[in-house]
Amino acid sequence: MAQADTLPKYLVQSYQKHGNQKVAMRKKELGIWREFTWKDSYEQVKYLALGLVGLGLQRGDKVAIIGDNDPQYYWAELAVQAAGAAAAGIFTDCVPREVKYIVEHSDSTFVFAKDQEQCDKLLAIRDQVPKVEKVIHWDPKGLGGYDEPWLLGFDQVVALGRELETARPGLFQEMVAQGKAQEVGIICYTSGTTALPKGAMVTHGNLIFGYQAATAADPRYDTDDYLSFLPLAWITEHVLGLAVHVISGMVVNFPEEPETIQTDLREIAPCSLLFSSRLWENVASTVQVRMNDSSPLKRALYRLALPIGHRAADLRFQRKEPNPFWRALHAVADLAVFRPLRDKLGLVKVRSAYTSGAALSPEVVRFFRALGVNLKQIYGSTEAIVHTLHQEGDIRMETVGRPAPGVEVRVAEDGEILVRSPGVFAGYYHDPITTAEKLEDGWFHTGDAGYLTQDGHLIYLDRVKDLLELADGARFSPQYIEGRLKFSPYIKDTIVLGGKERAFVAAIVNIDFENVGKWAENRRLPYTTFVDLSQKPEVYDLIRRDVERVNVALPAAARVRKFVLLHKEFDPDEAELTRTRKLRRAFVEERYRDLVEAMYCGLDQVIVRAEVRYRDGRTGTVETPIKVCSLD
Amino acid sequence: MALAGVSFRVKAGEILAVIGPNGAGKTSLLNCINGFYRPQKGAVFFEGRPITDLPPHRIARLGIARTFQNIELFTGMTTLDNLLAARHIHFRSGFLAGALYFGRAHAEEIVHRQVVEEIIDFLEIEAQRKKVVGALPYGLRKRVELGRALALEPKFLLLDEPMAGMNVEEKEDMARFILDIYEEKKIHILLIEHDMGVVMDIADRVVVLDFGQVIAQGTPEEIKHDPRVIKAYLGQAEMREN
Repeated sequence: MAQADTLPKYLVQSYQKHGNQKVAMRKKELGIWREFTWKDSYEQVKYLALGLVGLGLQRGDKVAIIGDNDPQYYWAELAVQAAGAAAAGIFTDCVPREVKYIVEHSDSTFVFAKDQEQCDKLLAIRDQVPKVEKVIHWDPKGLGGYDEPWLLGFDQVVALGRELETARPGLFQEMVAQGKAQEVGIICYTSGTTALPKGAMVTHGNLIFGYQAATAADPRYDTDDYLSFLPLAWITEHVLGLAVHVISGMVVNFPEEPETIQTDLREIAPCSLLFSSRLWENVASTVQVRMNDSSPLKRALYRLALPIGHRAADLRFQRKEPNPFWRALHAVADLAVFRPLRDKLGLVKVRSAYTSGAALSPEVVRFFRALGVNLKQIYGSTEAIVHTLHQEGDIRMETVGRPAPGVEVRVAEDGEILVRSPGVFAGYYHDPITTAEKLEDGWFHTGDAGYLTQDGHLIYLDRVKDLLELADGARFSPQYIEGRLKFSPYIKDTIVLGGKERAFVAAIVNIDFENVGKWAENRRLPYTTFVDLSQKPEVYDLIRRDVERVNVALPAAARVRKFVLLHKEFDPDEAELTRTRKLRRAFVEERYRDLVEAMYCGLDQVIVRAEVRYRDGRTGTVETPIKVCSLD
Repeated sequence: MALAGVSFRVKAGEILAVIGPNGAGKTSLLNCINGFYRPQKGAVFFEGRPITDLPPHRIARLGIARTFQNIELFTGMTTLDNLLAARHIHFRSGFLAGALYFGRAHAEEIVHRQVVEEIIDFLEIEAQRKKVVGALPYGLRKRVELGRALALEPKFLLLDEPMAGMNVEEKEDMARFILDIYEEKKIHILLIEHDMGVVMDIADRVVVLDFGQVIAQGTPEEIKHDPRVIKAYLGQAEMREN
């Protein structure tokens, strides 16, 4: 067969190569990792695709999928693509209104919905999505009592497919052969930091290019293990998971439940993984807190070892060889502390650990490299997949790496990063206007601000529109300061403020309830609720020390001069964060305008009336006095 | 006297709720059914045969399992071990075979693990499988307790305030599990519960106890409007609809 140009073609190739001889996927069920060979996987995809065609799926149709990472999700997506259709993923925690938007906007004619929870959402919006022929579920638990012909079991569709295979043998092979690189494989709804989600049409060619760009410097093998836990509504899992799986034959493991990922990660110890920067930050601060809680011996060892690790990491960055004494010391530290720690975190076998999403603070990168985790930045987007990444031996913490092979990166006049590559998408579905804005001569306008260094590394600053200016004209990146602040185990989230009409930088800080709570307990500091804890003078002092530490490393103009501790956590259910947990800056700033004004007007306390939206849709208000802390 | 002249039937295929004010004798009633207490007078029948004089472990073997108001689990053991311990009555291999983990004991262990894993899946406690029960939050311990009762594979399940002390979300989860147990596993359920909203939502029939006597029984709708119940159980206050 010629070089494959679609994912289903690669699946067929891998099946022909490995057949029943090699494991393709594992899924933990009833406590045991159950294996699926390439033959199992291929047959599921084949009959599912035929089943869908039997139900009326046409080439060019769209199918929405909502569910956790399971083999069935991969199979459903490959089956949809094999039939020449495109798959649109939906985040599992979307509410019915959000599900409706994507199902409707993508013109989906079928929906895969994992279980009762997701099927209930579809049933709730049934009248509003008349185009949907069937909803197909793959976890029938709790659905036994539903007498609803609109719902169909995964296995029923597969059985339909088997019937069609006897009636029209060879149809599946024909359908796959018809696939082309420029056909849309997935429609990926961007998380919508600013507006309604936009559906980026990503072709098979884009996905395959993404695979090549990501793995050129970092090959994957069919002996590799991978744990699939990134939300499939996000582009990344499709490239680093699905595409790498079908192209290189890497084994994909699926966690038992989203709650068990930590345990599953440790059991699988994947060879490559990608965490969002927020997750890396979480892991780093969890390690610190757990170490503080552990036995004195372990704590002492950890404190001894960490500087050794830091030194080794720093030397590696400067591309210097440590002398034999340090090498020996590092070997001991690794054996005693770092390796056991990596094992606990499921990072013992990891060759390439990537971070993406918001910028990761250099401290976190340094921390993991001290532990011996080869942490690299990868910078990309839904629309152009991979832009730049760190390549082995050329890692610089402050950059997001060099352009991947085949990618051209250019910085426009206004500081916006532009990207051109075979990975650039085919446009937004049903939105030619935005497409024209974002795509010019094949250059994708990322909306990110940054600059290229002399030696070709890209420095990522922030979203162009998120760079802030102060009254005196000084520009700064709030996100960068936020990243630094969030390295404190006591700060869960924060928004850093400024603007043309403002003279200085201020911040709203979310304390980390768990860690600050533990800190308070250790000091016998009584507290009742999040609100109560956040307004304790002792907690203010604690956070002030962290803010001061961050300020030291900032240019004078960008230093945080005032902050408040918010009485609640930022919450995606209240639209303060997106579903990928990115801060919705304008919304948050508007929502807490009283607080912001109080800081800039020099008040030292303000009463906040906050609207709270409960999970069941009701709303209520709470009133809290919030103190303002000044750092003059 | 804790209970006097209490007489009622749990019909096949129903969830029966027992309600009543504090000290009405609800838990005593469960203790009589599963053999913890022996009534001085009267009899308890299960599937047409008297079980009044049987010890608790024999009653358990007949297929009656229960949960306790104050969770009764081995707090030093993991969730998995607690559930496996509850499989004890189903083990057939002897002490020696079990100790040597040989032949039948080995095969049995696999079967029981399978049953237990299905319960873990059913109750969605995979993430707690290997965690020590004593370290789990209250709501989850309640769920493990329910799992322990299910591990007996009962025909009849006695639940003593399964939702006491839970928040709204945990209550909703628990209510869903109880309904799923009833619908999917076809287990009849007798439930003691304080939360009237829950009782009204999931019970097919309600028995009201006061000072050890049955003062009313009927559908939730009937009970809601029964003046004796309103007086005895709900006091002066109007019964809240929800």
